[in-house]
Amino acid sequence: MEPSHASRTLRDIVAVLVVAIFMFPILWWGLNSIKPYSAIFDKDGPVYLDFEPTLDNYRVTMMGVSRVELAIQDGGGTYGAGGASSYDSRQTILDSIIVSVGSTIISVFLATLAAYALSRMAMRGKQHFIFWVLSQRFMPPIAIVIPLLFMFRDMGLRDTHFGLILAHVLINLPLAVLLLKSFFDDVPKDVDEAAMIDGATRWQSFRRVVLPMVRGGVAATAVLCFIFSWTEFMLSLYLTTSIRTLPVKITTFVTSTGTEWGFITALGTTAILPAFVFILLVQRHLVRGLTLGSLKE
Amino acid sequence: MSDIATVAAATERRFRMPRFLSSEHPFPWLLPLISMLIVFGIYPLLYAFWMSLHQRNRIKRVDEFVWFKNWGTAFGDDRVWNAFQVTMTYTLSALVIQLALGLAIAMLLDSDRKGYGILRGLMTLPLVVPPAVAGMMFLLMEDGSFGVLSHYLYAFGLLSPERPILATGSTALMGVLLADIWQWTPFMVLIMLAGLRALPKEPFEAAAIDGANSWQMFRRLTLPMLSKVIAVAVLIRGVDLFRIFDYVYVMTSGGPGTVTETMSAYAGRIFMTGNFPYAATLALLTLLIIFVVANIFIQVFKVRF
Amino acid sequence: MSFKDHDKRTFVVDACNDFTARRITKRDFLRKMALAGVGFSTFSAGMLGGRRPFNGLTGLGTPEARAAGHTDVEKWLKEVGGKYSGTKIRYSTEATPPSIVANQLAQEEFTKLTGIEVEVEIVPLEQVLAKATQDVQGQLGTYDLYYLDQSWMATFAPDTIDPTEYYASDSELAMPDFDWDDFSKPLVDGIAMYEGKMVGIPFDIPIAILMYRKDLFDKYSIEVPATMEAYMEAARIITEGEKDNNVYGNAFQARSGHYSLECDWTIFLWGHGGSIFNADNLFSGNDDFGIQGLEYYQKMLADYTPPAATTWTWDGQFQAMQQGQSAMCISWGEFFPGMDANESKVQGLMEHARPPVETNGRRPVEQAGFGEIPAVGHQGGSVIGLSAYSKNKEAAWIFMQWACSKDVMARVSTLGGGASPMRLSSFEDPRVKEKAVVGPGTTRHFDTINWTINNAMGSEPDMPLWAELANNDIPVTLGKLLTGQDYDGSAKAAMDELAQVVDQKVADAGLR
Repeated sequence: MEPSHASRTLRDIVAVLVVAIFMFPILWWGLNSIKPYSAIFDKDGPVYLDFEPTLDNYRVTMMGVSRVELAIQDGGGTYGAGGASSYDSRQTILDSIIVSVGSTIISVFLATLAAYALSRMAMRGKQHFIFWVLSQRFMPPIAIVIPLLFMFRDMGLRDTHFGLILAHVLINLPLAVLLLKSFFDDVPKDVDEAAMIDGATRWQSFRRVVLPMVRGGVAATAVLCFIFSWTEFMLSLYLTTSIRTLPVKITTFVTSTGTEWGFITALGTTAILPAFVFILLVQRHLVRGLTLGSLKE
Repeated sequence: MSDIATVAAATERRFRMPRFLSSEHPFPWLLPLISMLIVFGIYPLLYAFWMSLHQRNRIKRVDEFVWFKNWGTAFGDDRVWNAFQVTMTYTLSALVIQLALGLAIAMLLDSDRKGYGILRGLMTLPLVVPPAVAGMMFLLMEDGSFGVLSHYLYAFGLLSPERPILATGSTALMGVLLADIWQWTPFMVLIMLAGLRALPKEPFEAAAIDGANSWQMFRRLTLPMLSKVIAVAVLIRGVDLFRIFDYVYVMTSGGPGTVTETMSAYAGRIFMTGNFPYAATLALLTLLIIFVVANIFIQVFKVRF
Repeated sequence: MSFKDHDKRTFVVDACNDFTARRITKRDFLRKMALAGVGFSTFSAGMLGGRRPFNGLTGLGTPEARAAGHTDVEKWLKEVGGKYSGTKIRYSTEATPPSIVANQLAQEEFTKLTGIEVEVEIVPLEQVLAKATQDVQGQLGTYDLYYLDQSWMATFAPDTIDPTEYYASDSELAMPDFDWDDFSKPLVDGIAMYEGKMVGIPFDIPIAILMYRKDLFDKYSIEVPATMEAYMEAARIITEGEKDNNVYGNAFQARSGHYSLECDWTIFLWGHGGSIFNADNLFSGNDDFGIQGLEYYQKMLADYTPPAATTWTWDGQFQAMQQGQSAMCISWGEFFPGMDANESKVQGLMEHARPPVETNGRRPVEQAGFGEIPAVGHQGGSVIGLSAYSKNKEAAWIFMQWACSKDVMARVSTLGGGASPMRLSSFEDPRVKEKAVVGPGTTRHFDTINWTINNAMGSEPDMPLWAELANNDIPVTLGKLLTGQDYDGSAKAAMDELAQVVDQKVADAGLR
């Protein structure tokens, strides 16, 4: 049953439209980031293109120009909500990348080992064990933030990159294990059995034979871990003081004399980019892996 | 396989693997995971429970052991009951909408034709926006006086400026849901796409030969074959939805009144006013509910991992 | 509290001529604004890193404004502060103009002279509370200084070191010419004192004043409202007259369940002769005056305020004013400079006035409970307090004195875009007075602020439970009432229920 040309075109149009609707908030956000402050709000309706574009918001958040300096350059123009150098977010981007990449590497490493074992080896109560692992994800962050804080204080991990990395590993592990297990399950058991009959050890058949076959799955898992860490808010907020990840930094632009929407939108737009690049790179694998193994019989 | 074996044997000669890594027991493989989860998962959980048995004495400035007083308070607290209902409404509506939209969009985008890969990539973009930021995005767009979304809702007569979406009891939850739907429908799309792509082709070809129309194929073939995927998606998403915090916190603070106050939002509010024991109690109560419901769900729908 | 002798010492800044802008061309006006801005920055040239030369503009600065003691202070910073060089001190604060500016000045001046590093963590107000509470309960010593809102004074009183005592006990660390008497006395009493202890040094004083659109008042020949009735009448005239322009008479910060709503409510509660607690420490928001105030608030919200106001915190309220959607508000004076900013749609159109006088008269302090001071000018001030758990007390103390010194505070007022001063000397500072013109960072509302601080300042109760009541029970109940979720619009029903809850909690905590 071949679809007609007309119905194909219709489908194309609908598809583009649907994606466009989902893109709108991001485009609007990006648009606001290059607006002067006065064009972000208008009580008589939204402003689309009727404004003079400016990069000021990016200069302050990403190029280290001080808010006050900018105001002086503009002839005292944007004093409004007060403020100074605390909008410089370059260190924030760096902190976010360190934490996200760090936690991704550790999560994927630990999850790969566990997932391989769960996929390949006999174990009593395996389903219960997996449910237990998954249940770690049920935890509302508010329940564990205080205990973690006290633990981290005693272990000297409070307000360190490594501490936050560990916390993010904790929230990423359950999904990572499940996801990777489904990828390992896709590789027939005969593969490593054959390798072992030929004299390879368990470790070798894992490291040399099976792991290379699930490279894509590992990549997809890594991206999800990266995203969850990149966007995590509660734990990042309370476990750190000097290290500021992106979501935390952005909420500090809400000041007592007005929200700095210009800087928020600029940093928000910048924040999307790195994660999006990762997604595009592994998009194909991401789509393959997300059934979490539910399709095998 | 023999070449692999050769490589393997060669490696074996070069390094000797630690003994436990060559055994057949899964424990060594799981050890890092288990220790991680116990140290940073179980211990804090027990600590939180211990904390929930205390109460802050504001005059002596110490935490006093009060047994299950906080739990008693929680069960008698009208706002907990309200929050539970709000959370249920929120979770169920979000699940249904995201599932339906996710499946529909996944089927729409499930094509190998040129350009669809890019569309699928773009579709995942909302996922990389931190939820706290997504909440701000929608707050800006839904502002009763200045928001672009509100502007069009008024223009099309769907809402009146007298009753802004986030300020009106009957629509505020929908306003918060919009952000959630925008951000997480793409996640559903990804899962559903994965499911669709893994389906065998033969049954569909056979059905086409038998003259089945597309609706029949969807009803009789796609849906049943996807049921397992749907179950997993509902589980993963449902758990996250039940803990919803960021959007509510940023967009409404639980208002108008307590109409959008979810369990986590209520716990968060208590947490921020400094009453940690009661906040822990509420958070653990949420956990308990999720745990029980998820367990039942897994039993009923026979979810296997 | 003796306002009188205080008044004598208070220099009231001359009111500026607000029509200056209209007598000169727009171009000249903008240039003047720019120069005014830069004039202050000639000082700042150094503190902003000196990257940009200000040739030809230095004449506009007022070098003599550098307080006479300034070099002493520099010497003190170098000699005394230098001993702690390399120490790192931290504090957590809300993003208020003073804290943001102090942060910048700290990096550029304080650290240079002393070698003490200052790390400021900026988070929204409710998170500051949670973080400070964590630090105190866990005795973490994360922060050397706390930023404490006036409503938390009682909660944190035992966790800080009394700065006056420290100043007196350790003369070696005491900053020369600090001049404690320079702090506005009512401010110190209202914000910083709890049961005879000074919890910290006042650092920020947003206070409720009346702000209104002069042009609309002229258009409808409205007098500046001096009473609550007149205020509502003005709101009615403007709302009805400007219906087609989408302009309302009033703006609120009425977000359900948010502390901002509690602040709003107290303005009108006190503004109708009510109080939160009575002399027996029982909740009294449900007495006749209290109900009258709340009903006034309900009517104002329903008829003369943009409907979105129930989703707004101070942020939305400010936005509504700045965008010209609302013509009046009784709210934080620190909004005012933003309305004069270049991106404002009402630049030069706004005026400020004393808040309307209380209906039924002001309830005397003796008839209120828990140290509450009923008066229409609600203050939302804050202090910086020295943590009792700090491991770097000396360095933190030196920073704290510097940040609250005459010179820094005066500059905070100008660089912070017209943040209300805490020190009497700041009101007189030539740099501050020079900014009293229409334009970004204006200080032309300072006389009103000063009057309100001295004559009509209201303060919330001081009690260890207050942070919780003010951030949770009160605004949630109000939210339910105002958005029609509960109580069928009956202010009495809502307040009676709230009274029960509050009295129960107070009794449970052993505070009565």
